Amino acid sequence: MTEIALKADSLSVSRGRVPVLSDITFDVSVGEVFALLGGNGAGKSTTLLTFLGFLPPRSGSVTVLNKPVTQNVEFVRQKSAYLPEAANLYPHLNARENIKYFLSLAKVPRSASDIEAALDEVSLATEARGRRLSSYSKGMRQKVAISLAILRQAPVLFLDEPTSGLDPVAIDEFNQLITKLSAAGTTVLMVTHDVYGACQIAGRVGLLKAGSLVGVFEAPEGGQISPEEVHRAFAEGA
Amino acid sequence: MQSLLIIASDEWRYWSRSKLGAAAAILAFILICVSVFATTNQVAAEKETREALQLKAEEIFRSQPDRHPHRMVHYGHYVFRTPAPLAKLDPGVDPYTGTAIFLEGHRQNSATFSASYDGAQAGPFARLTPALAYQLLVPLILIIVGFGAVSREREAETDRQLVTSGVTPVEIWGGKTIALAALAALLLIPMLFGVALSGGAPAVSAAFLGSYIIYLLIWILMISGASAWCKRPSTALLVLLSAWIALSVLAPRMVASAANIAIPSASQIEADMDVLVALREVGDGHNANDPAFARLRANLLEQYDVETVEELPINFRGMVAKTSEEQLTAILNEYAEKRMTQQVAQTDFVRALSFFSPFIALQSASMTAAGTDIRTHHRFLREAEAARYEFVQGLNDAHVEKLSYADDLNRNTSKEAWRKARVSSENWRVLQDFRFSPDTASERISRMGLTVGVLFGWALVMGGIGFIGARRLSEVKNG
Repeated sequence: MTEIALKADSLSVSRGRVPVLSDITFDVSVGEVFALLGGNGAGKSTTLLTFLGFLPPRSGSVTVLNKPVTQNVEFVRQKSAYLPEAANLYPHLNARENIKYFLSLAKVPRSASDIEAALDEVSLATEARGRRLSSYSKGMRQKVAISLAILRQAPVLFLDEPTSGLDPVAIDEFNQLITKLSAAGTTVLMVTHDVYGACQIAGRVGLLKAGSLVGVFEAPEGGQISPEEVHRAFAEGA
Repeated sequence: MQSLLIIASDEWRYWSRSKLGAAAAILAFILICVSVFATTNQVAAEKETREALQLKAEEIFRSQPDRHPHRMVHYGHYVFRTPAPLAKLDPGVDPYTGTAIFLEGHRQNSATFSASYDGAQAGPFARLTPALAYQLLVPLILIIVGFGAVSREREAETDRQLVTSGVTPVEIWGGKTIALAALAALLLIPMLFGVALSGGAPAVSAAFLGSYIIYLLIWILMISGASAWCKRPSTALLVLLSAWIALSVLAPRMVASAANIAIPSASQIEADMDVLVALREVGDGHNANDPAFARLRANLLEQYDVETVEELPINFRGMVAKTSEEQLTAILNEYAEKRMTQQVAQTDFVRALSFFSPFIALQSASMTAAGTDIRTHHRFLREAEAARYEFVQGLNDAHVEKLSYADDLNRNTSKEAWRKARVSSENWRVLQDFRFSPDTASERISRMGLTVGVLFGWALVMGGIGFIGARRLSEVKNG
């Protein structure tokens, strides 16, 4: 039986007085990549933030590794790595310093060679590692953030528009990395606009529209979800 | 605790790499060191000078040759207020009130030699004392360096990255507060040295330093609190600069104006005119025939059972001088006490309103601890007046007892008569040594109670506001 890592059950969330998510239900299995697709304001980021405990459910519930988020925020954050769209790291620190800083706060001790190995894994150029992030491109910052996630060995990874602003080569590299992490057992919940990228790496794709989950597409055994089908459903409002 | 220190040390790393913050902190540190060094040396030199001048003045007075005693009354004498040890750090009202008084008969002269005249052309900041540096400059530097400590994380959304790393929002705020506190502690080192080297009593030195620590803690908590509440660093900077101007610049002036309105005091000219009018009621002490002394004359004639003043066994002119001095001193003291009571009432009014501004509270606490407040100055005036009255009346006693009325009356008839109308210079020993020292440590500390309480209150409120703001940190922006 597949173990469930993430679960949203009849989840409704408001931001202020504005309802954003209405009664959505889905789950993500351990090691699965689940992509939530949707237009602007569909509630994608709200879903992620609710899983991370930044927003409380209005009704329904969210669980991470079988623990209700609202009662176990610290546990959830300890077990999760979060990559926001802008890869929010410190521009005054270099790649190594950023990683060391966040790892020390997360109380995850890693050696210098571990850090170099993680940076190797994301193919961040060695000569760039000592430079401050203020001189990095978005793709490079994204790589540092992913290295951090790898080093934290968090069982759950939340990605918010991870490929937005990346060049095609960087997107390819990123997709390969996520596939690799997933294969290693990391559960990934990503929200994105990128239909083709999502279909390439996700085992399932959920379609959010105006706060409701209007469809879930599953990849066939050994294959990929058809982006055209998702695109059509997206255009037709599922 | 470990997370707090990690966050704090990263904040220091950020400041060291941010040229503006580092430059401001270094510049402030140098400025404070210069201020402490310069003021300490200046006040120490002034202390030495005044002590030497006091000894010199006493020596000069006592070494005067045989003279008519009333000439010595007008020859006069200087008394100097030697600064208290902590005046090296907070000269308080000293630069404005004067530090020396010329004592002579029939007059209560104002204190002179105020340092503020020296720097008047350069404005109120001509003398950047350590007290002023810590009261005004250090909070401003802390604002410049720390305004974005928390709001920067919020704007860049790195606060969420921190929170998802297992750090609580309160820990983020706490770490930033510790970083600011460490910076403030660094900036306090010159003052710590200044206090240690001042030679002040340990208890009052600790109270003095403690009041500055609480004051800077208020600003630290205000800065980290505002930074936690504001979503953008620019907003935090605006809020904090407005608070600095309101609390440190506007509030003290407004409260002082309110004190002047609530407790009006006559101008110096008005007060002097009132005194002159009152003094006219007292006779001229130089004129033994002034009708104002008819009663004295009658009483003495009756007491000694004689018909004329020439028959009195004492010098009637001396008695007139003594009585006149007693009467005019009573009037002068009455007006002086009235003026001092008004000044103290105004000071107390300002102190009572210190809950409006920690700047006012600290200024009051600092001057009280340093022994440079208005009450200490008033005590100097009273002690100086007591010394004046004592030596003038001592000389008048010599006039009464050691110089005959006849010799006194005929003193201008010939050179010989003039020489005869003198008393021995031994009589100049009526002048006592004058050594002014501030109130005891316990007295000063007890007077600090209200203002230190106000400072604690501000610190608690700022801590509470910051804590609540921190809990809102990493909240998702709505809309």
